Amino acid sequence: MILSSCSHEKEVAELLRRGQWPAACAPELRAHVSACRSCGDLALVATSFQRARSEAAGAAPIKSPGTLWWRAQLRRRNAAVERIGKPILGAQIFALLINLFVVVGLLVYQAQHGLGWLIWLAQLPQAGTQHIDKLWTSTLLNPGWSPLVLIPALATLALLAGVVVYLASDRQ
Amino acid sequence: MKEPLPMHRESVLPNVLAGDALRVEEPPMDSDAFAGFYERSARPLWAYLARVSGDTALADDLMQESFVRFLCAQQPEEGEVADRRYLFRIATNLLRDHWRRPRTASIEELSEELFAASASSDQADVLGPALALMRPRERQLLWLAYAEGYTHREIAEVTGLATASIRLLLFRARHKIANLLREQNSTLRRQP
Repeated sequence: MILSSCSHEKEVAELLRRGQWPAACAPELRAHVSACRSCGDLALVATSFQRARSEAAGAAPIKSPGTLWWRAQLRRRNAAVERIGKPILGAQIFALLINLFVVVGLLVYQAQHGLGWLIWLAQLPQAGTQHIDKLWTSTLLNPGWSPLVLIPALATLALLAGVVVYLASDRQ
Repeated sequence: MKEPLPMHRESVLPNVLAGDALRVEEPPMDSDAFAGFYERSARPLWAYLARVSGDTALADDLMQESFVRFLCAQQPEEGEVADRRYLFRIATNLLRDHWRRPRTASIEELSEELFAASASSDQADVLGPALALMRPRERQLLWLAYAEGYTHREIAEVTGLATASIRLLLFRARHKIANLLREQNSTLRRQP
């Protein structure tokens, strides 16, 4: 199909766009449109579509805009909830990984240096507070054997790391 | 002496404990402006969806979804004409998604017979049967060009096609539907 257009097409299109076809059209142009295939197609198609548009628009069931406004607001709110949920989830996963890493590290350390604190735990019901003092003293004197300090410190570190990651993600 | 800064929970964990974390994006227009925009745009949009899809129930659903997505979208304020064009773009994408969904095929690969049955059911005018024989893409282009009066550039923006290809596609579609309309008219004239 050869793409050819008539020089009068723009003029006809403008009249159609303004709704002035065929009433405000010069007789010469009307005669041209009836003879020219391209302009005839344009006039026929445009008038058919404009008529169909006004008929269809008249039949449109129009609902309240308030319902749509409310639905959109709900959707925006859900999107916002989802958005803030992402960094929280990331922080939780990060904190969990840190904790697992600490636990594994501690177990490896204990396996290598002996399970002295297990013996202390086993003797706990027999001796009461005396053992706590002993543990405390030995923890302070021997930094290598320090589960009482190490565990809360690392747990705090993990918690803070999680919070830091959350705040960083939230700012982004 | 300088007053110490108050230590609020919000300053430690901003947005989270205070409940400000739920920052809901502002809609592109307020509710009154939207009501006016809806009043002026809903009918043309429904007409477009109903005529191109040939399914009035689908047109209802897609029109509502288009407006909701329009309100949820963040776009620069460029006036009502641009807003309406954007709305038609959303509707066009929804329509394309709808056609792709059941058969996972391209819009171009779908046959016009698939749409003809539903389209002709409630279209008693001359354009209806002719439109039902057109491809969905052709219907979209024809409607946007001749019912909405969009330029080739605007149609390209709405449909996502290249501006250069719109001219050729539209020329072919116009030629095809003009022939169909002439056939319809001559058939109607022959009928007693």
